[in-house]
Amino acid sequence: MIYFDNAATTRPSARALEAAGAYLSECYFNPSALYGGGVAVSREIAAARKFLLAQVADPFRYELIFTSCGSEADNQALFGCARRGNLVTTAGEHAAVYESAQALKARGIEVRYAPLHADGSVDGAALLSLVDEKTSLVSVIHVNNETGAVNDIAALAAQVKKKNPRAVFHSDGVQAYGKIPVRLSDDVDLYSVSAHKIGGLKGTGALIRRKKLALPPLIYGGGQEGGMRSGTENVFGIMVFYHAARETFAAAEQAGTRLREVRERLWDALDHGIFTRISPQNGTPYILTVSAAGLRGEVLQRMLADGGLMAGTGSACSSRHRFSRVLSACGYPERVLDGVLRLSFSPQTTREEADAAAEILNRTATDLRERMN
Amino acid sequence: MEKIVIIRYAEIHLKGKNRGYFERVFCVNLERALKGLRHELRRTSGRYLVEAFDGERVGEICDRISRVFGVHSYSVGLKTESDLDQIYACARLVAPQSGTFKVDTHRADKKFPLNSMQLNAEIGGRLLGENPALKVDVHEPQAYVFLDVRENGSTLVFSEFKKGLGGMPVGTAGKGLLLISGGIDSPVAGYLMAKRGMTVECLHFHSYPYTNEQAKEKVVELTRILSRYAGTAKLRTVKVTHIQESIHEKCAPEFMVTLLRRFMYRIAERLAKKIGAQCLITGESLGQVASQTIEGITSSDSVVESLPVLRPLIGFDKEEIIERSMQMGAYETSVLPFEDCCTVFLPEFPVIKPKMADILAEEGKLDTEALLAEALESLEVIEI
Repeated sequence: MIYFDNAATTRPSARALEAAGAYLSECYFNPSALYGGGVAVSREIAAARKFLLAQVADPFRYELIFTSCGSEADNQALFGCARRGNLVTTAGEHAAVYESAQALKARGIEVRYAPLHADGSVDGAALLSLVDEKTSLVSVIHVNNETGAVNDIAALAAQVKKKNPRAVFHSDGVQAYGKIPVRLSDDVDLYSVSAHKIGGLKGTGALIRRKKLALPPLIYGGGQEGGMRSGTENVFGIMVFYHAARETFAAAEQAGTRLREVRERLWDALDHGIFTRISPQNGTPYILTVSAAGLRGEVLQRMLADGGLMAGTGSACSSRHRFSRVLSACGYPERVLDGVLRLSFSPQTTREEADAAAEILNRTATDLRERMN
Repeated sequence: MEKIVIIRYAEIHLKGKNRGYFERVFCVNLERALKGLRHELRRTSGRYLVEAFDGERVGEICDRISRVFGVHSYSVGLKTESDLDQIYACARLVAPQSGTFKVDTHRADKKFPLNSMQLNAEIGGRLLGENPALKVDVHEPQAYVFLDVRENGSTLVFSEFKKGLGGMPVGTAGKGLLLISGGIDSPVAGYLMAKRGMTVECLHFHSYPYTNEQAKEKVVELTRILSRYAGTAKLRTVKVTHIQESIHEKCAPEFMVTLLRRFMYRIAERLAKKIGAQCLITGESLGQVASQTIEGITSSDSVVESLPVLRPLIGFDKEEIIERSMQMGAYETSVLPFEDCCTVFLPEFPVIKPKMADILAEEGKLDTEALLAEALESLEVIEI
């Protein structure tokens, strides 16, 4: 079985699970406890926090708040910082940002959506034109999770700040962290990341925050995470995140170069009479989104799984959300939206897998096309 | 004194010479419902008593009894010796703390020293004497204290009648095969047939890979919900993918649903006969969708050779069906967004009033027998 749905989640790193194993058994202490065991766990969390932060930001100017997932980090950013005026975001956001924005809209915040280019990246000029002196928050996804397009958040944040220095700039970096080079510039105030996209566990995420930014908590309680996110720390999850990130970041540059080649190899092997490409060349090397126009992606997905390939899809048979909101915003016609497949990779993905996957994709799509005439 | 649940049955007393049979089936159904909970079930004249259970699990016992067809009403009460002081000890526990009340005695044991009126007065008087917040109102009391002095020297004391589901014990009215989709209607259709005593087995059609696993899981869950009431033991599934593909390939698109339904009914009848079911049951309601017109129903029924097709919802509005779906606890599952029949092959304009001649002409383009045999090969049986 070939697993090409790594943008949905990755297989947890066996080495990270083993390295963190002690925190499931002997080192079970509450990090807030004042006796030796608790203090030791607390120290380990501090080290993990520092490492995870330092990979993408300057620990003197930023801090990292552990959360239960990337969605929670997005929610905290939006509900914490879009408290008045308007919120500017893009039509290409993950549901965690989009649905939070919709909820804020119901509470009276004006929400403005910047349009997308065909590859899923945001139209920067249009985004800037939506920012004004009443904008309290701008949220732009770093790597589009459906197409893999990369937004230049450093440049966008700088331009936003020039226009309104008081606007807070947030970016959902879940598909970028550990995969493409990230260095947060001073203009980016908040950045969401998640562990299970890089070999960590579901249930662990983080919000990176510029230290001087005022941010209220979503969850109140015992004052953990500097009061910004109460609740006893998910020690095991955090330690797996840490060890998985160590592996991932050590090999990130090399993996990126190699996967770019694997991605293009896969694309070249696909039948271009059936598949059209949605992902841009300069997007993340971890995602190749294509469409078998005229076929139903969801049906194809099941047939692919039966044939030995697990892939993601952008369509569903349910009538309510048949087409992806994001890909619709890219301007594709229904035939293309119907047939979307997202193939997403991990550092473990091999060229051989890509070759085999291309063969399965070509064979299955041809079969379905014949069955449906 | 001991906590008990009193169960009264619904229409069984009408059944004359068959009464013994109906009562035995009812008893088996009650035992099945109470399985896994410590209890003793005893049949007495005109009612059943659940005894010897853990007092704190009485809520669970009542929940289960409330889902058994044939239960007219049930009461949680106390059982004691037919001794005046002990009866009073029970009555104080079930009596209200304040407001108006009435004691209502039924005395089967004619040897008990007080008659019904005297016992009402005695117990009512003692309650009034002890609690000045109580008042007697024999016409419109806010609460009752019921006393049932039985022939075997025990008395039952309780304060309310809870309504059961009514209907007939499942298993007394034959077996039917329900065509179950993942929607709201078909589980309700099965529920209503079970209410009249029919055991309901289920058959589901899918068209993998055009339909998904979640849709099938949802049908399994719906069958499980129905089985609580209907004695359902198995869900059978049949794959109709190739039938759909063949219709799509060879026939006029507007006949997709009409023709597919004829295949489904044929498969259902063959299966029904194999498992000893005596009828087909569907959730159709007249005019609800394009295929549920009288012409559509005629088209489907005409392929069923020797079994009746029962449609208990035929005259129901959607709202009425939803109400019953909620009542049986299936609604939340039914409305999960997994479609049981993929829209891939659905025509934009289905034929609403199909003419038999046209149907037969379209169907003539297909190798019906071969397709049926192939579909029946795909039969899967899921234990519920």
